[in-house]
Order: sequence, then C-alpha cells, then structure tokens
Amino acid sequence: MLGHKATRLLVGLSAAIAVLGMAVAAEAQEKKIKIGVIYDLTGPLAGGGSELQYIGAKIMLDQYAKTGVEGYKVEAVYADAQSKPDVAINEAVRLIEQEKVNMLLGFFSSAQCVPVAARVEQLKNFMWITTCISSAVLADKNFKYVFRPQASGDQFGMMTMDFIAQNAKEKFGKEPKDLRVAIIHEDGAYGVDVSKGNEAGAKKAGFNVVMKEGYSATAPDLSALVTKLKRARPDVIFHTGYNPDITLFGRQAREQGLKFAALVGHGAGYGVYEKLKEGLGGDVNYVFNTDPISIWLANQKSMDPKLPPVIKMVGEEFDKAKPGVAIRSAHVGMAASNTYLFLTDVLPRAIKKYGGVDPDALRKAALEVDIPEGGTMLGFGVKFHGEGQQMAGQNERSFPVVIQYIDDKSYVVWPKSQAQREAVLPLPKGTTFSNQ
Amino acid sequence: MQGFLDIFDIYLLEAVVNGILLGGVLALLALGLNLIFGVIDVTWICYAELVMIGMYGMYYMVQVFGLPYWAAAPFAILLVAALGAALHYIVIAPLLTAPPINQLLATGGVLFILQSFATVAFGIDFRNLGIRLPVLAIGEMHFSYSRLLAFIAALVGMLAVYFFMTRTYTGTAIRAISQDRQIMSLMGLDTKRIYLITSALGGALAGLAACLLVLQYDVHPFVGLSFGPITFLICVLGGLGNFVGGFIAAFVFAEIISLGGLFSDLEWGYVLAFAFFIVMMFIRPAGLFARRS
Repeated sequence: MLGHKATRLLVGLSAAIAVLGMAVAAEAQEKKIKIGVIYDLTGPLAGGGSELQYIGAKIMLDQYAKTGVEGYKVEAVYADAQSKPDVAINEAVRLIEQEKVNMLLGFFSSAQCVPVAARVEQLKNFMWITTCISSAVLADKNFKYVFRPQASGDQFGMMTMDFIAQNAKEKFGKEPKDLRVAIIHEDGAYGVDVSKGNEAGAKKAGFNVVMKEGYSATAPDLSALVTKLKRARPDVIFHTGYNPDITLFGRQAREQGLKFAALVGHGAGYGVYEKLKEGLGGDVNYVFNTDPISIWLANQKSMDPKLPPVIKMVGEEFDKAKPGVAIRSAHVGMAASNTYLFLTDVLPRAIKKYGGVDPDALRKAALEVDIPEGGTMLGFGVKFHGEGQQMAGQNERSFPVVIQYIDDKSYVVWPKSQAQREAVLPLPKGTTFSNQ
Repeated sequence: MQGFLDIFDIYLLEAVVNGILLGGVLALLALGLNLIFGVIDVTWICYAELVMIGMYGMYYMVQVFGLPYWAAAPFAILLVAALGAALHYIVIAPLLTAPPINQLLATGGVLFILQSFATVAFGIDFRNLGIRLPVLAIGEMHFSYSRLLAFIAALVGMLAVYFFMTRTYTGTAIRAISQDRQIMSLMGLDTKRIYLITSALGGALAGLAACLLVLQYDVHPFVGLSFGPITFLICVLGGLGNFVGGFIAAFVFAEIISLGGLFSDLEWGYVLAFAFFIVMMFIRPAGLFARRS
C-alpha cells in the first residue's frame, strides 16, 4: 500500500516537473514582440490613403513575421480606427491592456495621433508613428515613448512655400511680394498644422496672402469657398485636404470657372493619384503634391545598397495586393519604409543592447538611431530630437519633396537635389484652370 | 452707393445663385424623407444611407455594366423603392405601434448595417461616375448643370408629390392615415398596403436624389454622413409633412450656408444655419410653414 502511494507520488512529481519544464521551454521559444497596428480600414480616411499605408506596413510586417528579428518572433495585431479619433483611442488602449502588445505602430490621421500619443505616453507604452504629420502631436509635449520618423506638418507647409518662392521670378515673372497666394485647408489637426507652415513660409518669402481659410472635410458644398477664391484671384493655391473634399473642391472649382497658375497639395488625398484621376479626370494634370518621396522615385544610386532590393520587394507585393495601379502611391512606401526602419534598426538594438522589447528598451534604442541621408528608402536620414527638446521624438533629418503629376506619371521637382525634372509652372495655356 | 456696389458684386450674385442650386440638392433629398418622416410619422434615420445604396446602384450600372445614364436611372429608382418597401415590411411594420424611439433605434441599426454592408460589398474606395456635365457660363459667373438638373428635379418632384397627395385617393389615404392610424382600418382602408406604397414612394424619391447626387459627389459607404443630419433639419424646419415648406426651408438653409460662407469663413455658414434652426425651434416649434400642430 505504502509502495503504491510512493509510486503515485513519484509519477505525480514527474508529471509536474515535466509540465513545468515544458512551460519554461515554451517561454523560451515564445520570445516575441507583439505589435499593435492601427490604421483606418473603414470610413472616409481609408480611401484617402490610410488603407494604402496599412498595406505598406503589412507587407513589411509579413516579411519579418517569416524570419523574426534577433530570435524574436514578430506578431502583428491589426485594428481599424474607422476614421474616428475616439475609436482610435479605444483601440489603442484595448491593444495595450487586453492584447498586451509591446508597442503600437501606424496612425494615418493627425486628429487621432494627437490624443492617442498622449494616452500611450500616459500608459508608458511605445508608439512608432509611420504617417500622421501634425506638429501638435509632439510639439512642447516632451514625450518619452512616442517617436516619428516622418516629416512634420509645418515642414510640409514650409517646403511648398519655399518651392514657389524659389520659382516666383523665373516661372511667374513676379517678385514674391507681387505673387498672390491662397491657403485653404481642412480644419482638423493635420490641415491646420500644414497651413501654419504655409503661413510661416509665405511670411518668410514675402508673398501676398490674399486668402486663408479652413473648412470641414465632410462639408457637402464648397461653392462659397470657390467663389471667394475667384474674388481673391490667387496665382497659387496651397491646399491641404483629405478625400473626397479634394475632388469636391476640384469639381466645383471647374464648374465655377476658378482660374489660377498652380495648385499645390500637401499629402493625404493628394497622394492617391488614382482617386484624383477618377474624380477630376484630366484636370489633375500638373497638380503638385508634397509628401515624403515615393520609394519608387527616390534616387537609388545615393541610397544604402541594401535598400533597392527591399523597394523592389515592396513594389511586387503591392502589385499583388492592388493590381493595375498606374502610379504606386507614396503612401505605401512611406509606411513600408518607416516600419522597415523600426524592424531593422530600433528593434535589433533594443533586443541586443537593452535586453528585450519593453517600452524602455525600445525608447533607448530609438534615441540612438543615427542614420545619415540616403539611409532610408525615403531618402532622408534619421535622428530623433531627444528628451527636453521642443519636438522630442521627431526625426530631425526628415524632409518631404514636391512632386508633380504629368500625363499619368509623377516626378520629383523640388528640392533641386532630388529633382527628376523641371516643374511645369505656371499651368499651360488651354488647361482647365489656367489663368494665362 | 459705391459701398453698396462694392458689396453687391458679381460674386455675391454667384453665391446667391449657388445657394439656390444647393437648395435644390437639399430639397431633393428632403422630399422623400418628408413623406415618410413628415406625413406618416415614421422615422427613417437611415434615409441618407438608402440614397448611398442608390448611388452605388447607379455607379455599377453605368461604370461596370455600361448602361447609359438615362437607362440606369429608372432601375436605381426602382431598386431604392424596393429597399424602402423592404425596410418598412421587415423593420418598421412590427414597430408601428411601439414608441417612436423604437423606430429611431431600429432604423439607426439599419444605418450601421447599410454602411457596413457597403464597406464589405463595395470596398472603401471613393467611386466616381466619370460623367462631366458642361458648365453654364454667364459672364463671370459659372453654374453647374448637374446642380441645375437637381434643382429642376426637386421642383418637379415637389409639385408631383404635392398633387399626388392632394388630388389622388391614395394620397388622401396617406394623409388620413397619418392623422389616425387605428380609425382608418375601421373605415375599410387597407393600411398595410398604404404604408407599403408610401414607403416605396419615399424610397423612390431617395433613389431619384441618388441619381442626381451621383453626378456631383463621389460615392463611398459614408457619404450619407454629409447629408443625413441636414436633411432631417430641413424637414423639421419646413414643417413636418409640408412639401412646399420643406422646399422653401431647403433654400433658406442653403442660402444661409452660401452667403454666410461668402461673408465669413465657410464653417460660419454652417454655424449660422444651425443657429437659425435652433432659434426657429424656439419661435416656431412646428416649423416655418407648419401644417399641423
């Protein structure tokens, strides 16, 4: 009887040890980083570029899900912000608290980024912003755990003003002070921020700002805005919007006979050429857009040699996801490049040097990023403003470029160091909006 | 005098006319809702989503199946009419005797179902019919033919509904049923049939609005969000069930938006229009042209 009990005890102990051992082994095998990915997959922002950003990030995350990073498995958990800031906040909190993700990645809309960044910082989690550009996300916040390799909104606004200022005399035959410019923008965090950059750039260039106005991106009618533009007679219109407000504006501008010499957009809806073409037809010809450079237009000769094959892979994967697209949107490459940067630079350093993937390890690793110009697929370098600085967490080496859509192709036209061709300025005679 | 001329410029006139044309679009949208919400006291909070389905119908028939616009339009109207009848049969009929809040919540559910259905079935892309109508130019002023068409359709639609409601047996029955649901069946009227006809008619008017809106706007699953609230406000402002009132309220609303947007920021136009609505609700709670208390 005693022997029988001893045998049962031995078997029980052995089983317990075995289970414990398996658990330890499983833990050793289950080294992984769980990344919460948030973009808008439904709602108006999805078609305005957010879905393309999601595709770009997913292509990269899928690649690294196959290989892992430094022995860590990469697992992505996707969530849909539904084009609503409140949903974005709830999803961010859900991913952190319930899904137990190690970090968050993504975010298209600045209106979502501003509150989500504050919430993530409060929860001491790590946030890697691939897309949204509003300066308000980081300015004077001194966040420790929020990082953005992307250029900021005021840089977008300053860049386009600089582009027109440098071309005013040669292309328009006018001194900057005689050039009439109008700034119109959607009135969310994104549009307001870019317009501030526009305003600062216009002041610096000495332009005559004849009109500056915001509007709701969901407004069903923009005819009063167009009438005011007709009265103000601007040479150049600087526009920041999502979609479908951009196509509504373009359509009503045509119907009401608005004339100008150039239309300069600032990312978001202006970065989705297919939709612009579908909504505006030939009127999209010669429109300018400002965005980080499309990875397919970036100068590969001055780029880190390991990057061109990655660009090729992203292109092939995107073509499988969206066959028959005339111009691959810059949105795809933007998210792919910024996700790649995290997976190949920040994450390996966090694991190797700081021993894991907790928010502090990721933060320390991000603060040590030091990539020179040409070191990313987007052409720019990466170094983040450190703690205590006005834009802590913002990449100080990023810059957007100005591209122009000409005959179903896009060309970088500014800055000159990246330019692929001369800008067509002003709009050629005979085009719908030409004021010549 | 010079001061007056400075203000009364050609652009002011253009804004006034554009306000009238926008009023046409809003009046067209309000027509069907006024019939449902105003006359038979049934709340379709998902009305603008029916318009969205009609716009998708037009897009697929014209762009995908290659039907000419004029041939596709009757099918789209019939499609939304059928949807309106189905909405009544499936959702509203079981709730006719329930408090109005139940109808509101149930059709609110339908709103989300239709938005989600459109997202799944048609995707999140913005679709465009690709038809670019010419522009009417009078001197420095330019006007959109698509809005002129919407204006004419709203005017004709309003008159047609008005005469239908006042000169036909079915129209009289619809008006009578709104006054007392119970007593009409005692008088030998097939109330179920009348509700179904009214719902199909409301749907058909939503379909008509869809045919004309798709010429001016991209269609996407959330296009209804831009129009839904304004359409409800117009019906209430004009006096529930009053078609002429709804028609005029649409123009008052549109002119405030247009002129407010011209003299101040565009957003102020909307602020003024909604503020005007609130003030009018204090002064004339039953609407500008109240038909009944």
